Amino acid sequence: MSFDHVFSLTVSGITVGMIYALIALGYTMVYGVLELINFAHGEVFTVGGYIAATTLIWAGIDTTTPLWVKIGYFALAIVLSVSLTAFLGWLIERVAYRPLRGSSRIIALLSAIGVSLILQNSLILIYGPEPIIMPTSMVPSGFVEPFGVRIRTLQFVIIGASIVLMGILTYIVKSTRIGKAMRATSQDMEAAEMMGIDTNRTISFTFVIGSGLAAIGGFLVAMYYGSLQYDTGFLYGLKAFTAAVLGGIGNIPGAVVGSLILGLAEVWGVGLELGLLAWLFVGGLAIGLYFQLVRAPKARVGHISDEARTPEYEHKIAGLYRLAPFTSMRTILGERKDALADVSARHAMRLFSGNVVLAVFAVMFFMNGDVQFASKWQHAISFAVLMAILMFRPSGILGDNIQEKV
Amino acid sequence: MANVFSGMGQRLRQAPRWTFSLAALVLAITFPLLEQAGLMDTLWLRLGTRTLVYVLLALGLNLVLGETGLLHLGYVAFFAVGAYTTAILSSPRLGYHWNFWAIMGLAIAVSSLFGFVVGFPTLRLRGDYLAIVTLAFGEITRITFNNWESVTNGPGGIPGIYPPVIFGWLVDKPIEFYYLLLIAVVLVVIVLTNIKNSRIGRAWNALREDEIAANHAGVRSMGMKMLAVVISSGIAGLAGAIFAYYQQFINPTYFIFMQSVIVVCMVVLGGMGSIPGAIAGAVVLDMTPEVIRQVFTNWLPSALGPDFLPQVQTAMQTDFDRYRMLLFGIIIVLMVIFRPEGLLPNALWRREVHEEDPREAEHTRQRLFDFEEGHKDLEV
Repeated sequence: MSFDHVFSLTVSGITVGMIYALIALGYTMVYGVLELINFAHGEVFTVGGYIAATTLIWAGIDTTTPLWVKIGYFALAIVLSVSLTAFLGWLIERVAYRPLRGSSRIIALLSAIGVSLILQNSLILIYGPEPIIMPTSMVPSGFVEPFGVRIRTLQFVIIGASIVLMGILTYIVKSTRIGKAMRATSQDMEAAEMMGIDTNRTISFTFVIGSGLAAIGGFLVAMYYGSLQYDTGFLYGLKAFTAAVLGGIGNIPGAVVGSLILGLAEVWGVGLELGLLAWLFVGGLAIGLYFQLVRAPKARVGHISDEARTPEYEHKIAGLYRLAPFTSMRTILGERKDALADVSARHAMRLFSGNVVLAVFAVMFFMNGDVQFASKWQHAISFAVLMAILMFRPSGILGDNIQEKV
Repeated sequence: MANVFSGMGQRLRQAPRWTFSLAALVLAITFPLLEQAGLMDTLWLRLGTRTLVYVLLALGLNLVLGETGLLHLGYVAFFAVGAYTTAILSSPRLGYHWNFWAIMGLAIAVSSLFGFVVGFPTLRLRGDYLAIVTLAFGEITRITFNNWESVTNGPGGIPGIYPPVIFGWLVDKPIEFYYLLLIAVVLVVIVLTNIKNSRIGRAWNALREDEIAANHAGVRSMGMKMLAVVISSGIAGLAGAIFAYYQQFINPTYFIFMQSVIVVCMVVLGGMGSIPGAIAGAVVLDMTPEVIRQVFTNWLPSALGPDFLPQVQTAMQTDFDRYRMLLFGIIIVLMVIFRPEGLLPNALWRREVHEEDPREAEHTRQRLFDFEEGHKDLEV
């Protein structure tokens, strides 16, 4: 396990994470405004990649084409894919989501699934089920060697482009009129309407921006892996959604942080030897124990009302956390007169079981130290992260403002 | 003319409910006899058997999605658990050859247990979050079956599942499986109708309409939701067990996410929360594509000459599955926008989705009233 290996895996993880972030931003913005999981977003991403790849294949570039022509076609591909995909996003919102606004969330989600089926199967009908191959001459093929490790230039291109796009997005959301309208709409749609904001237009704009970002994501993925298939977007969409939830849905920096964590987790999980991963779990366990033994009891003791506050009671509440399985279980099974103790006991049990899981994984991985995760479990990693985060902390790492609706 | 039809509709609506059930049952029983009499291709019998598997799945999912209002997108995982339980315990793969009844019981028990284990942490979530978590769980299950090669033989699947012996009768012909499934469907419908009309069914509906209000009326959400999930995963396990016996071969590609979506489509198309609706949805969605294909590749050419639209014929022969999924997508979107209550809606749900339209709400209220008043007057 050399430094080179870890370093190149880390760069790969950040690259993948950045691509997830481009998609996750679309999810999180739409969720922030409409509280709708735009299930078709993954397919929008695929369509963007397909349009860009089609343009480049149509351009028919080979190695003899001069550089400026190449750059011209490249720009054309980006412009076409972003504009057409943005239009597609607008159309989806207009046709499939707007008529359902105000109806139950299940109905809206079903409509989104329907749209995603339509897009996927239209792609199959147009392009066939085989993957579409990017023309290799258009992909930057160089290498750079920071710290003596060979890394594809393309990875830095992807990371750089994503950072620039996120900067632009932050500017739009923070400092422009339409960004202000977006923030207002996501806080309270009715109040925003009363203030004279055209919420329909704002929502359409959100879809347009999200789809445009996803289109660039699709283009980058097509360049990075060299090909794209009609169902690529399904998995990417799910993982990006996982990332958005991980960071706290509706929260734009959260989407980026969550995506980076997820990308690193996937690449490390598959590429690193288990012995090294075990140390990650040990780190996680340390954080978990800190929460269980120090942070959580302190926060909970702060909740005790003034008339009930006695040193014995504080000690009892803190003890629920510190002696988690024993006292907590007794409290949960026994008397239920004390609401604070009851809630604390349940919370303590959750933290404790989380820590036990981390410890079990660490021990398991230490015992098989020199084995790698087979790459066939790669997708299972992000699904497991998704289930865990929704079960233990649905508001995500950075938190969201809509937790009570989960 | 119009009077004749409206009169017919009125008479149909006035007929007691059980006549429809009886008619459907008679139709289902006589269906394979047509094949036995040589009037119908075996293809239709096989299709009918597959449809009955989907009917079981739609009935089970209806319990969760329609009655309790939980969007479960990983439903096919329970089906897979039932099928794999059967395949492992009754095939040369690990050398077991268990009795039919033991396997049935175990398949239902294992998938119910699975439903319980998964439901325990996930059911606290609501709405679309639950949908995504169950989706993730369904995919993890499939990936596990795909990768756990020592038991499931991975992507290769488990071949050579022994046909079941029921009371000394070796069941291995499609028609026998058809009737086996039909018996299962009838039993499940009886059980579900009874639960639906009991205190439990009303508790589920209350949870679907308004969870907080239901809690205040004394309905424990966790227990009731768990009960719905456990029963419905048991039904899926039953369907999976019979499916594995019938196919004699299973592999993970039978249990992809699309299957869950298809079952969801069936429930939505039929009408959420309605047992006849779930059955109708499954029959319509599973049969229609095949009927369309037969019309274009078989019946029309034989009636109008073999050179009838040759491109359409080839397209129907080769690309049909793709059109089928595209069609499903379009059906879902159109249904949720224009008729969210489904084909055979349940009266309550219909009233709920049309609440914002006063005319429609008035109409439905009138119909509900009529229904309760013993169908006295249906003219509004």
